[in-house]
Amino acid sequence: MATVHLRAVSKSYASGASGTTRAVESVDLAIADGEFVVLVGPSGCGKSTTLRMIAGLEDVSGGTISIGECVVNDVAPKDRDIAMVFQNYALYPHLNVRQNLSFGLERRRAFKSCWRGLFDSAYRSKRAGERAAITARVEAAARTLGIEQLLHRQPRELSGGQRQRVAVGRALVRDPAVFLFDEPLSNLDALLRTEMRTELRILHRRLRATMVYVTHDQEEAMSLADRIVVMKDGVVQQVGSPAEIYGRPSNRFVAGFIGTPPMNMIDGTITLDADSTLTFRSACCTLTLPPGRFDLDGLSRGHERPVTLGIRPERLSPAVGESNVSAHANVTGRVVAVERYGASADVVLSASGIRLIARASQECTTQIREGENATMTVDVNAAHLFDSHTGCALARAIRAPNR
Amino acid sequence: MIRLTAQWLRRLLWMATGAIVLWAFATVAVRELRALLSRDTRTELVVMHWSGEGGQEEDQIVEDALRTFERDHPTLRVRRINPGDAGSFYTKLQTMMASGDPPDVFYVGSERIPAFVSLGLLAPLDDALAEDARAKVADQIELDGFYRATVEAFQFDGNATGRGPLYGIPKDFTTVGFYWNKDLFARAGLAPPSADWTWDEFIADARAIGKLPGCTGAEFVTWPAMVRAYLMSEGVDVKGESFDDLRTSDPRVVAALDRLRSWRHDESGALTSGKSKIATGSSVFLGGKVGLAGPFGRWVVPSYRKIPSAADGGFSWDFAALPRGSAQSNIVLTVSWSISRQSKHPREAWQLVRFLSGEKNQRALATLGLAIPTIRAAAQSTAFDDPAQEPANDRAFLDAAERARVVDWPSDPQFESLLGSRLDQALKTGDLSLTEAIANFERDWKAQRESPLQNGATSAMPWTPLAWIGVALVVVVASLAFVRLRRGNLSLAHRREERIGFLLASPWIVGFALFMLFPIAMSLALAFARWKGVSPLNEADFVGIANFEQLLTLDHRFRASLSVTAYYALLAVPFGQVLALLAALLMNAKVRGIHLFRAAWYLPSVLAGVGVAVLWRWIFDSDGGLLNSALAPLLAPIGLAPPEWFGRDASLFGAPAFALMSLWFMGGTMIVFLAGLQQIPVELYEASAIDGASKRRQFWSVTLPMLSPIILFNVIMAIIASFQVFTQAFVMTGGEPGDLTRFYVLYLYNQGFEYYEMGYASAMAWLLLLIVLSLTVVVMRTSNRWVHTDGAKA
Repeated sequence: MATVHLRAVSKSYASGASGTTRAVESVDLAIADGEFVVLVGPSGCGKSTTLRMIAGLEDVSGGTISIGECVVNDVAPKDRDIAMVFQNYALYPHLNVRQNLSFGLERRRAFKSCWRGLFDSAYRSKRAGERAAITARVEAAARTLGIEQLLHRQPRELSGGQRQRVAVGRALVRDPAVFLFDEPLSNLDALLRTEMRTELRILHRRLRATMVYVTHDQEEAMSLADRIVVMKDGVVQQVGSPAEIYGRPSNRFVAGFIGTPPMNMIDGTITLDADSTLTFRSACCTLTLPPGRFDLDGLSRGHERPVTLGIRPERLSPAVGESNVSAHANVTGRVVAVERYGASADVVLSASGIRLIARASQECTTQIREGENATMTVDVNAAHLFDSHTGCALARAIRAPNR
Repeated sequence: MIRLTAQWLRRLLWMATGAIVLWAFATVAVRELRALLSRDTRTELVVMHWSGEGGQEEDQIVEDALRTFERDHPTLRVRRINPGDAGSFYTKLQTMMASGDPPDVFYVGSERIPAFVSLGLLAPLDDALAEDARAKVADQIELDGFYRATVEAFQFDGNATGRGPLYGIPKDFTTVGFYWNKDLFARAGLAPPSADWTWDEFIADARAIGKLPGCTGAEFVTWPAMVRAYLMSEGVDVKGESFDDLRTSDPRVVAALDRLRSWRHDESGALTSGKSKIATGSSVFLGGKVGLAGPFGRWVVPSYRKIPSAADGGFSWDFAALPRGSAQSNIVLTVSWSISRQSKHPREAWQLVRFLSGEKNQRALATLGLAIPTIRAAAQSTAFDDPAQEPANDRAFLDAAERARVVDWPSDPQFESLLGSRLDQALKTGDLSLTEAIANFERDWKAQRESPLQNGATSAMPWTPLAWIGVALVVVVASLAFVRLRRGNLSLAHRREERIGFLLASPWIVGFALFMLFPIAMSLALAFARWKGVSPLNEADFVGIANFEQLLTLDHRFRASLSVTAYYALLAVPFGQVLALLAALLMNAKVRGIHLFRAAWYLPSVLAGVGVAVLWRWIFDSDGGLLNSALAPLLAPIGLAPPEWFGRDASLFGAPAFALMSLWFMGGTMIVFLAGLQQIPVELYEASAIDGASKRRQFWSVTLPMLSPIILFNVIMAIIASFQVFTQAFVMTGGEPGDLTRFYVLYLYNQGFEYYEMGYASAMAWLLLLIVLSLTVVVMRTSNRWVHTDGAKA
């Protein structure tokens, strides 16, 4: 068990004839002991590179990485007390499952010499003990993962899920201070992926080990993580618990990246009217926003400021009964498509050329027909505002509840 | 704009391609049309000759002579073929003979006369000579004016040379002797060899010169003809009346041979240790460190004339006839103009032979210095005995000619090579005692004479039933294939696609059937036949499994070739693989300019074939070759001398030399390994690095297992290649010395193209297939223990 500290870690590659490409820029991250941290972001965002720097598979261009108390920038991977699970499993194809699991332990044996055993009975018994210990650990790990009956099989005889278990087992058996996962589930089909996700979560709870996990799948990140690190273009966008990331995205990118279907984004302007009401105007709608939730940085009355309004699909709901509707919390558009999932349904609207998605329960959408117009109510209390230029969230600092 | 240019480029390419195709067809059409229109009604004669040592000049002299002949004979047209050296000449001649379209007039060396006459290739010329005498033609050939022995060389009555019909008009000849370095003789204080010097004087001179620093007394080549010349000078020979009456065990023969062996092996400095084909005596002499070189004929003179004078760093030299032992004798080696028995224009061909053998043309050829005219008058003219040119002692050749005899050979061409190879194991390499070598020779020749192939009752090859069987097989296979294809439940569209597919593939299918399948089937049939390869196929005899019987039970040379090849394979395959893999690992490094290194390492495999073999011949030369010059100072401190690769140490180092040379061609293997290395998933290295594996452990636990399918492929290819060594051995050693580098395929070639046993060679080819096949099967069978085929997928 150990903490992992990244201090101003950056990575750059020489690219082309001139200059360098920066893959990771000045990442600061403190991972607590036993924490499950997920690095998430689109491909090329530097999350894998960051993980590989922790593993020691890539050199660190700047900053320091420490595992526990020790700065490991110049420590070889095998001496960092880490284990890594790869996307394509990286099982040794010529070794059976047992040998795959014990490979790392075999490399770390202290009593390896064959010939010393010939003369030295003490050595011989130590060696036997060591071997027995390895067998015990391999079998324990196999039991944990439910792969005891596969120990004699070759990797080619295993299904994708089984291979994945073996790959995890190979890390597990080493009992490392830090587990590193590099998109371990992305080669599995959807069903298996969900299943393995749950198992990893359970495993983490059992082991209480420090785990760093890389994925491009925000859903995976949300479901697994104690803490999520959202990255883009080598820069950390936001670090926080899944709830924080989802509920209070720090910028437009994070807001759009986390959550399915993605948050609806409507470009428009915000004005502080004479009666102190905040009004958002755009091509498709005009919304009155509750005061006090947004940090508009001294927006003076009567002035406009270009912003992007974000509203999650589940905060858009079909208006029930026309009379009931306040004109300033509605958006009307043509229904382009209705995707029904049984319990819920996604309604895709086109309102003045802006595409919006609403997610609602099945019952609320029974009246909605494709090709007709529909009106949606916007839960303005759940709206997010982002600066049109910087994309930063215009939210008041988080207040502790009940204060 | 860019799109436009690309389009234009494509159009231009199309037009260029079209133009080339059109041009190709047009030239052929024009040539054919012109031939048709020119209405050349002249009779065409085809003349074939070689110009190996004579080079361009000989080529030109023959050309000029033929043009003169055409001018004098307006009704005749002569087409000339010159394949280059004598070796290519005989191969070409054989294929032309076999196809039933031989040249009308061609060179034949006297040593081939018995074989060629037995094969029925040559037309006897006696009738034509008699006719000329009756008709008293102007340029009648007066055989009395020829050196007697040169004429005898072309008479063969089916058993003995020198009797019976005449099968060629000798065009030139040579006697043999030693070329001696005048400067070294002077430095050693020796008198020049006298006209009737003896072997004792010869060896005394050689010993004296051998004592000069860095010098060797003599180079004595042990070619079979020269060994027999040496024996004849002692009044003995390897045979008595016939070749069934071997005299090789005659104490006087043994004593003479043993003296030769002893000069070479029991003394140092007197005789060079014996070179194989690698350094024929001529080049040894050129270095100026050898006192005497021979026995050679006249043919070395053109190259020796290029030796600069002493003032320019060279030396002066002269010729002395073969020393005498208990008898004074010499041999003639001669070449004739002969006429094919199948010639369609024998009369015109004879006119041409008469013209070409005439004194005028002999004089013209004599100016080359390469050989002696067979007509005395021409030989004694200044055209040959040119006082302005070295050697001064041209007379020695002519004086020797008066007492020279023909070296006769039996009609079975294997005798000469068998004698040479067997004796070389005592005379050159010294790994057998002389009595053992002679016993081996007698055993092998006896086996050859008594072989069921030579004596068994044979019947004509049943070509007609075989052809029907072949046709039936083709029909059955084709209809089976057709039925199978029909049975598939294919839609109409698929069927059409299939038809078009077959149509498009048909050029290849037809080509494969004609040029691969048919010859393969023929060679299978011939493996059970005795066919000489110089006559039409209907002259083949069916011999059952006699070819295989002979190979597996009687043929010691076959066994030797198999063991040489196996020795080579045992070295070349593992070492080649290991080094290619190491090279591939190096080439896989991510270093600046690695592409250049890869190209450089691959380059040698691009340069293959004869040229490279010639270069390696120099590298392995045991006297001043590149390799030994480098090794000598390294080995000197531990008291060793570098091996004479193809000389004395050939039994141990001959095959390894070729294995060493095979590393030159490892580029292909290396590239395949490199491709394999680059396919190994990098995650495996990362995973094992995290697991704590060192670089070395990674090599054993990741690289090798992941590479195992590639290794399997390369090993199998290497095994196959190692059994197919030919070019190197053919060019560098010709199988010598003493069969110690006679690789399987080289022996196969010897049988097919030099001993005219095409059936036997076919049997060898099929046996080779079986050997390689079974080795491959063995490797494949064991492969599931060490090959992990699922590497790349995982």
